[in-house]
Parts: sequence; C-alpha cells; structure tokens
Amino acid sequence: MGLLSIIRKIKRKEKEMRILMVGLDNSGKTTIVLKINGEDTSVISPTLGFNIKTVKYQKYSLNIWDVGGQKTIRSYWRNYFEQTDGLVWVVDSSDIRRLDDCRAELHNLLKEERLAGASLLVFANKQDIQGALKPDEIAKVLNLEVMDRSRHWKIVGCSAYTGEGLLEGFDWLVQDVASRIYVLD
Amino acid sequence: MEPETDQPKAGGCGVGGHRKHLAMLERLSKRSSSSSPASDAGAGASPVDAFLSRFAGAKLAAESALSACRASSPEEDAAATASLAAAAAAIDDIDRLVAEASHALPPYELRAALSTAADLRAAHRAAASELRPKKSFSFRNKSRAPKNPPQDPATALPPPPPPPEQPKPSLDPILPGLGFRGRNGATLVKDLRASNNDKDGDFTLADLVSCEVYLKGKCRALYIHRLRDCRVFVGAVLGSVLIEDVEGCTFVMAAHQIRIHEARATDFYLRVRSRPIIEDCSGVRFAPHALHYEGIEEDLRESGLGEETGNWANVDDFKWLRAVQSPNWCFVPEEERLQAVDISEGHEQEDGIMFSFA
Repeated sequence: MGLLSIIRKIKRKEKEMRILMVGLDNSGKTTIVLKINGEDTSVISPTLGFNIKTVKYQKYSLNIWDVGGQKTIRSYWRNYFEQTDGLVWVVDSSDIRRLDDCRAELHNLLKEERLAGASLLVFANKQDIQGALKPDEIAKVLNLEVMDRSRHWKIVGCSAYTGEGLLEGFDWLVQDVASRIYVLD
Repeated sequence: MEPETDQPKAGGCGVGGHRKHLAMLERLSKRSSSSSPASDAGAGASPVDAFLSRFAGAKLAAESALSACRASSPEEDAAATASLAAAAAAIDDIDRLVAEASHALPPYELRAALSTAADLRAAHRAAASELRPKKSFSFRNKSRAPKNPPQDPATALPPPPPPPEQPKPSLDPILPGLGFRGRNGATLVKDLRASNNDKDGDFTLADLVSCEVYLKGKCRALYIHRLRDCRVFVGAVLGSVLIEDVEGCTFVMAAHQIRIHEARATDFYLRVRSRPIIEDCSGVRFAPHALHYEGIEEDLRESGLGEETGNWANVDDFKWLRAVQSPNWCFVPEEERLQAVDISEGHEQEDGIMFSFA
C-alpha cells in the first residue's frame, strides 16, 4: 500500500493519466490519437507494435498507449494493462461483419482484473462513412448493457477522419478518471 | 553508523521497510502540508478522526443497502436492483474516502479500511450474482475454462462452421450496405461516380467465386471477404481496404491503407500511401498498380493517391517479424506482370452476366 499511495501522490502532482487504446485492427486507433494531437493523418501504416503519445489535455497530461490491433499481436495487449486509468475501445462502425469478433475481444478484455478499475470509453468510429452503425446500435451489438455495475463507461460516436466526437469522448474520459483518482479542486 | 538500518536482514525486512515507509510518508505529508499552510490549523489527530467517522457512515450505508437487497424477495426485482446500486455507490464512496485519506492514515487504520472495503465489495458481488445469476461474465469462470476454452475467439470460431452463419443474418438486415455478395461466375460492374450522394460510403465484396469485379470511382472503405478465383479492379479508396480469406485471386487497387489476412496464391497490384500488411498469408505476390479507365487520374488525385509512393513493395508480414525476407510473399516477376488494364468499356449492369468485355 505504501508504494501505491506514493504513486498516487506523484501522479496527483503531475496530473498524469494513463490511457490505453485498443480495438480490432482497422478501427482507427492511431488516426484518433494523431487527430487529437493535431498531426497529419493522411499517411498512417497499420501499427506494428505500439505508439506512445503524451498529450496535454486541459490541465492533465495524458500518456496515450496506442497498441496495434492485428490478430497476431492482440495477445500482447496484456503487457500494457498495468496502471491503466482509462481504457478506450475503438470500433469500426462500418465493419459489420466483424462486430462479433469485436464483442468477443472486448468482453475478454473486461474480464481482466488489472483493468477492473479503469473507466471505459467506447468510440463508435467512422461515423462519417455512409452506412456506419449508430452508437446506440453498436452498444446493442456489443452487449454493453451486461457490463458490471461498478464499471464507468460511455459510448460516443466519432469520426477520426473529420475529428467529430473525439473531444466529447476524451472530455468525458478525462473528467471521469479525474474524479476517481484526483481530489477535485 | 546506524546499526538498525544497516542490518535490515538481521532485524527482518518488515521492520526496516516499515520504518522507511513511515519516514517516507512523513516526508510526503510534510511536503504537502507545507504547500498548503492553511490546512495546518486543522492538522493533528483530527483528520484521522474525521476520516473514521465518515468511513463509519459510508460503511453503515453500504451495509444497510446490502441487507435491504438480501431481505427483498425475488419478486421485488426493481427494489433489490435499486438497493444494489445504492450499495455500489456507497462502496465507491468508501473507496474514494480511503484513497483521499490514504497518506494521512496510520498503517493499521488504512489496512483495516481497505479490508473492510474489500469485504463489502465481495458481499456486493455475491448479492449481485444472487440477483442476476445469469451474468454473462464474471471473475470466477476459471473452473469452467478447461471445459470450453474459447480464450481466443478468433481460433475458436472456425471449428464449428454453422454458428458463424447465424449471427450474419441477424446483422445483415440492420444494414445491407453497398456491395456484391454471393455470386458465382459473374461479371460485376459498379460505377460509384454515378451513385455518389452527399457522403461517400463503404463497399463490400463477399462470397464471390470466379467473378470479375470492376469498381470505378471513389469509396471511403472497402471490405473484401471470402473470394475464390476472382479478378478485382478498384478505382480509389480514400481510406482503408480490409481483405480476408481470399484464394487464387488478382487485385488491382489504390488505397490509403491495405490489410490482407488469410490470402493464398493471390496477386496484388497496389498503389498505397502507407505500408501494406499481410497476416496469415502464403504465396501472395505484389506488383505496382496498373489500372486505367476514363477519369481514373482525377479519382486518384482527389483521393490523395495521385503519386506513386513505392509502398507497394514495403510489405509488413505480421507473421514474420525478422530481418530476412518473409517466405510468405514476393514480387511478381516483371515478365509475368499484368499490362495496364483498361476497364473503360465496362458499363454498369445490375446482373452483370450479359456484360461484354471489349
């Protein structure tokens, strides 16, 4: 407990948060991270491994871990679970065929004890594409209602391409994490 | 020399560690109190007392909510659910209280508070599972794991072929989407420029056998699934292409991103802004883009694909993370490469079978 309280203390001072971005391949995780950071999103290769970005957001400093989603490297996600404050699950809302895969991977992840305390933000990405499912439809297909009562979660429709919805999602996530790990001031 | 601290092993790690811990906490609390001198007035024993009384209150609330939940009969589902939620909120309160006070508390109080919180959580979980016994996931399915081990849903899905068929119809009615599906031996032509409305959409090619597919114009995303012996020509994709489970096919396309899964004996003629990737592929070959129709230059330029990047050759194989060339892919030898294909003559046909290819 001593170490934990010290870590809390240090974190409080620097107002840091650790955010883990996961989801199936092709869902737009890297594009979201680059977009909120104001970087060029027109040349992004599928992520082989992971990227870390430190983003100043309001008065907080977000350490965003963007981990590749290809099937081969999903088993390495667990290496990034430790001390995650906020979990961002990104869904390609226009890839209807793989929503079953998407649901299975998400619920697998939520069983993980090390993520039990993390707030969950689900991004229903690619809303700019005609024919993408709406956030409430995605919530239904992903069966988000069965989640444990103690889990703080929210689903937000967004487009990493236009940037729409990204701030709304991150605003919620940062507020929710802040109200849990920092004394409100 | 300080014998006690220099010989922690003799005195036992616990004692030395504990002393260090206390010293550290003291330093930390000094630092925090010096930064906020105003709070010094109330310092002393009172923060602990204040915490203890608030903690006792929250604990009482959680316990009474839990006992209310247990007492309610199975018929009063709503009441039980409400008191369960109240208990969860009260436990969250306790957690917050403990977290806020954690560095001010003496170790014993902290440990006692934490164990109380853990006990309450366990009681809450038990009550919740009693109320909703069919919860679809929880932390205690370890004993069931050996019997049905669908740890990796990806590998668990293929063995029973019928079940994957079932979820599809349930999803299809939600959104048929633009695309060609379930055709055999057809020539399929679509001019996306003609049907473009306010926003660009996605396009799907699925379950095609021995088909020729001509897709002119631009789309935002392209999904390709289960193709056998097909030839596919696509204009410009202003987003990503996802290809899964194809065999004996030829693809000619331009896109921002291309992901290829489970392809066998297939050739790809690509122009791509980022590095194409393959995963679980064998015998796939790559070559530069070679497609022509009237207006393709404009479609490519408008999609940011006007220039050749050379990335068609920079293939990443997720199943071969070594410096030496992957055995799963190679280039199409120059003498075997397709000549630039011209699909200008193809006219849009609903059925496509009557299509004549000049």
